[in-house]
Amino acid sequence: MEANRGQNGIQQLLAAEQEAQHIVNSARNAKMARLKQAKEEAEKEIAEYRAQVEYEFKKKVAESSGYSGANVKRLETETDAKINHLKNEAARISHDVVQMLLKNVTTVRN
Amino acid sequence: MNDADVSKQIQQMVRFIRQEAEEKANEISVSAEEEFNIEKLQLVEAEKKKIRQEYEKKEKQVEIRKKIEYSMQLNASRIKVLQAQDDVVNAMKESASKDLLNVSRDHHVYKRLLKDLIVQSLVRLKEPGVLLRCRKEDLHLVESVLDSAKEEYASKVNVHPPEIIIDDVHLPPGPSHHHGFFHHHAEAHGPFCSGGVVIASRDGKIVFENTLDARLDVAFNKKLPEIRKWLFGQVAA
Repeated sequence: MEANRGQNGIQQLLAAEQEAQHIVNSARNAKMARLKQAKEEAEKEIAEYRAQVEYEFKKKVAESSGYSGANVKRLETETDAKINHLKNEAARISHDVVQMLLKNVTTVRN
Repeated sequence: MNDADVSKQIQQMVRFIRQEAEEKANEISVSAEEEFNIEKLQLVEAEKKKIRQEYEKKEKQVEIRKKIEYSMQLNASRIKVLQAQDDVVNAMKESASKDLLNVSRDHHVYKRLLKDLIVQSLVRLKEPGVLLRCRKEDLHLVESVLDSAKEEYASKVNVHPPEIIIDDVHLPPGPSHHHGFFHHHAEAHGPFCSGGVVIASRDGKIVFENTLDARLDVAFNKKLPEIRKWLFGQVAA
């Protein structure tokens, strides 16, 4: 009878050890799975961040190209105005200039 | 020991084993969370930094491209204006060139001018003998002032009157009314002369072009800074 009870006790202890091992192994497996999750979740966050940055970038680019389109227009208008003014000035003084040149040609200082 | 005691001890040991295992599992779990957070954070921050740098670079490139484009536009505009300035000024010269034709029509005035031009050319050359070229249509006017021109030069410079030979090769005629000059495309590009003379040393080595057209070129170039100043308010090259 005593031998039996001794056996029983040892079996219980062995079972407990096994269960303990089981518990620790589970925890270890869970840890590895969790670390793998870190990579996956990180990738997801990174992709979201990139999309956000890309969106901001595109917005900025669209804004500034509108701005520079307006700049180019302004430049064109200014240039045309300058040239018009030039032509008007030229028309104004053309006769006098021609007269001056002719006088220069036909006047001989001897 | 009796059975009950043994049994109790065994139970205690079983509980102890279990407790230790659960504590250990807990530790592992906690460290798993910590490492999870650290790992995730490091990965995310490293990549975010890379992404920021990437987009900063992209933005800079866009900036540079825009600056270059604007600079090119600016240059194109400037060239356009400069070209217009050039066109406008040359148009005035063209206009003067056309008016030159009228100079030789008033024979009284033109005759006097021819004489003065001949004298001026002689003074320039300072040669005792020269060759003179004029337009065929000016020949009789030139011949009529030749002697007085020689005299005027001689007394001015205190030399003997020079020998002037009129070349039988003539300067090209003025563009006529009927074709050419007023219809830009036809004769205007052929050689023509609005008047004046060309005088050369006898050996042909020194030549002085005193035609009206040559004089216009000289006058134009000389007055160009002044003309440009009137037009654009600054003296440009």
